[in-house]
Amino acid sequence: MASTATINGTTTAADPISRIPKKSKLPSTPHQFITLAEIVSEFSHHHPSVARINNGSFGSCPASVLAAQKEIQLQWLSQPDDFYFNHLQTGFLRSRTIVKQLINADHVDEVSIVDNATTAAAIVLQQVAWGFAEGRFQKGDAAVMLHYAYGAVKKSMQAYVTRAGGHVIEVPLPFPVTCVDEIVQEFRRALQRGKMGGRRVRFAVIDHVTSMPSVVIPVKELVKICREEGVDQVFVDAAHGIGCVDVDVKEIGADFYTSNLHKWFFCPSSVAFLYCKRSMESCDLHHPVVSHAYGNGLALESAWIGTRDYSAQLVVPKALEFVNRFQDGIEGIKKRNHQAVVEMGEMLAMAWGTHLGCPPEMCCSMIMVGLPACLGISNNEDTLKLRTHLRDKFGVEVPIYYREPKNGEVGPVTGYARICYQVYNKPQDYYKFRDVINELVREGFTCESLPN
Amino acid sequence: MEIKHSLNGEATHRILKRPRVTPRFLSESEIREEFSHHQSGVARINNGSYGSCPGSVLADQRRWQLRFLQQPDDFCFNTLRKGILASRTLIKDLINADHVDEVSLVDNATTAAAIVLQQIGRGFAEGKFQKDDTVLMLHCAFQAVKQSIQAYVTRAGGSAVEVRLPFPVKSEEEIIMEFRKAIEKVKSDGRRIRLAIIDHITSMPSVVIPVRKLVGICREEGVEQVFVDAAHAIGSVKVDVKEIGADFYVSNLHKWFFCPPSVAFLYCKNTNSSSDLHHPVVTHEYGNGLPIESSWIGTRDYSSQLVVPSVLEFVNRFEGGMEGIMKSNHEEVVKMGKMLAEAWGTNLGSPPEMCAGMIMVGLPSRLCITSEEDTVRLRSHLRDCYGVEVPIYYQGVKDGEMGVRDKNGLITGYARISHQVYNKLEDYEKFRDAINQLVEDGKVCKMLLTQ
Repeated sequence: MASTATINGTTTAADPISRIPKKSKLPSTPHQFITLAEIVSEFSHHHPSVARINNGSFGSCPASVLAAQKEIQLQWLSQPDDFYFNHLQTGFLRSRTIVKQLINADHVDEVSIVDNATTAAAIVLQQVAWGFAEGRFQKGDAAVMLHYAYGAVKKSMQAYVTRAGGHVIEVPLPFPVTCVDEIVQEFRRALQRGKMGGRRVRFAVIDHVTSMPSVVIPVKELVKICREEGVDQVFVDAAHGIGCVDVDVKEIGADFYTSNLHKWFFCPSSVAFLYCKRSMESCDLHHPVVSHAYGNGLALESAWIGTRDYSAQLVVPKALEFVNRFQDGIEGIKKRNHQAVVEMGEMLAMAWGTHLGCPPEMCCSMIMVGLPACLGISNNEDTLKLRTHLRDKFGVEVPIYYREPKNGEVGPVTGYARICYQVYNKPQDYYKFRDVINELVREGFTCESLPN
Repeated sequence: MEIKHSLNGEATHRILKRPRVTPRFLSESEIREEFSHHQSGVARINNGSYGSCPGSVLADQRRWQLRFLQQPDDFCFNTLRKGILASRTLIKDLINADHVDEVSLVDNATTAAAIVLQQIGRGFAEGKFQKDDTVLMLHCAFQAVKQSIQAYVTRAGGSAVEVRLPFPVKSEEEIIMEFRKAIEKVKSDGRRIRLAIIDHITSMPSVVIPVRKLVGICREEGVEQVFVDAAHAIGSVKVDVKEIGADFYVSNLHKWFFCPPSVAFLYCKNTNSSSDLHHPVVTHEYGNGLPIESSWIGTRDYSSQLVVPSVLEFVNRFEGGMEGIMKSNHEEVVKMGKMLAEAWGTNLGSPPEMCAGMIMVGLPSRLCITSEEDTVRLRSHLRDCYGVEVPIYYQGVKDGEMGVRDKNGLITGYARISHQVYNKLEDYEKFRDAINQLVEDGKVCKMLLTQ
């Protein structure tokens, strides 16, 4: 079946640079879409007795894409010089072109391939640091991030922005959250704080989908507010973006946008893209690992950062092929994942007498489900202990989030499980989780009883 | 040697047992089998560029990769850290470092250079160093390192000085003399040398540098920090970081130490400033020391960092272990180099004692190698039309210099041949014959066609 790029259900014409063929007619054979048995086979390397309801952390990769990756690895091992001189760069261009079409970027120059969103963050924040070091930004100018920003991004802000003299402001967000407006209001308030005392807000990093707790953020609206308030640069951290939520970088309007491809787009570990709007050329992005490609633009710099295994970054075409074996391609997968995870979340919340962490429209293929208060989740350590207990004793893999109770709350729900749904999941995975928690409640289990 | 996994058993959750290795040395055919994935028909005499990895180590790597794929959360929480510590500990012993805290695993020497130079860059940005304080490097330093200096040092206001070393080179003394002269010149200009970067084995042209002596000179002359870029060293020459005495020492493990692409170790002597080294890709481990920071830089495949134990098993199946391999590679490459130089009527770029597993062999002047472009052309032609993979170096002759001549003219091109355990005599004979053919046909570089 020919490789195609689909955006929001419609197909795009061939990009002359990459010569990706136009969509050909689907064969009218009975099994034109991937079957359940084929899906099971594609993920048969997953541990069979684990209820793997945590696709969000490390993603997943089907066997056919892994096989294609292995072929690339063998090609390199067989004759690395030839691969380096004659195949590596065309492979990168192919991957970048597919991503460009998937995300609706204007030009392939705007798309670089990097290891992961963590690396993308370092790239973007490094140039913010140069802004302070070279006097484009004044010491004390503000940089804004969400309180629920990913741990690595927070540290990166510290390492690059605070260290260079920037003032970092966190946007507190409510959780559980009941509507988009709650987030918008907090964000506006944070920008005002940033501008106090005549300061400029130079930079804002906004998650498209927060990690823990997981909520879909109204990025388009927040980017718009940033423009209104004169924020110099906006970076959307969409680690969970592609394959999870709709990604249209022009519509979202950020200056920088990154998403992992190994989380929800079936690529092997690890590969991500960093989109940089062309008008930001002057801001001088560089890969921190400098090679002979330095100065040729981020896309080319990132395509050679010394000898290493680039195979995960070269199989993007194969991942797209895989995705297109499903009805409605990635759009269909996203829609079905979302419906399934909401259904499973509601089933669990009802079974445990708890609630969801956000309304269904504010989640994608992950959702936060309250855990029974009697489990006694009273701090972050408890969440790790409980998670380990669920993994080791019951074969359930799911991350747990601790929510600090507010003053005056009676019998608060302090623990939330972040359940995910990907094409290999089945209702049994969630029934297993439901039953395990119910059993723990029946036994009078509390986190206190777990060893440190 | 690969084990089939039964996913229905609990075996997958236990440490996968590997077959007992019989305590005898590898035979010729077993070595061939270990490298049977190398493209046949190619005289692969360029181990120095991208290295090589035997089948049994690749199989071990796949085992690690499969464990991650099966249950990534369990792998990252319970297995990964221990595996990296095991590799670091083995490296620490190999290189005679004092403490495993001094050993970090990174992707490659290029990454290590960025780590060290970012620290220097911060020194300038934060006012610790003054404008025009200097970083010293060899003229033939690896291009990535030079660019890294530009990106982090020059950009931040520092100055970079290159030490030009003679090539062809006749003795260590020539190198030591030039190095001393360069340092004295910088000091006489009133500048402080904040960092000296010294290659242990230069890349192009390839020569073994007397690093211990040069580090000694740096200490005498008050150079603040010394970074030895030993990309080619481990598995090639003896590495004793305490004896060499540098502040930072990096070597790739995938070049001459049989690891898959890619992994390198960065040794950082425990000093006051070593705590301010950071991996540029910042994660939640930020501030926990470079070894810990480097052990988690986001979700990715760390398997190449986990196979060091199986590499040691592999090298110990050779007589004399790693030492035996190094000695044999050295002897063979010198023998092959002399064979080629004699066949072509040319020269070697350095005396045998100044090379390890690689040597530079002069190419016949009749090929008319007059530029970098010519070397690229020749290299591609050799690959495409003769099945020979070998990098070529252009050594222009400056005004006033005599240069080296063969019977027809100036020798301006050198091939860097490597020898690793999978190489055989035929590889170098194929190269010899290809060059002889080109000369016989009256070919010069400019007229060479490539596919």
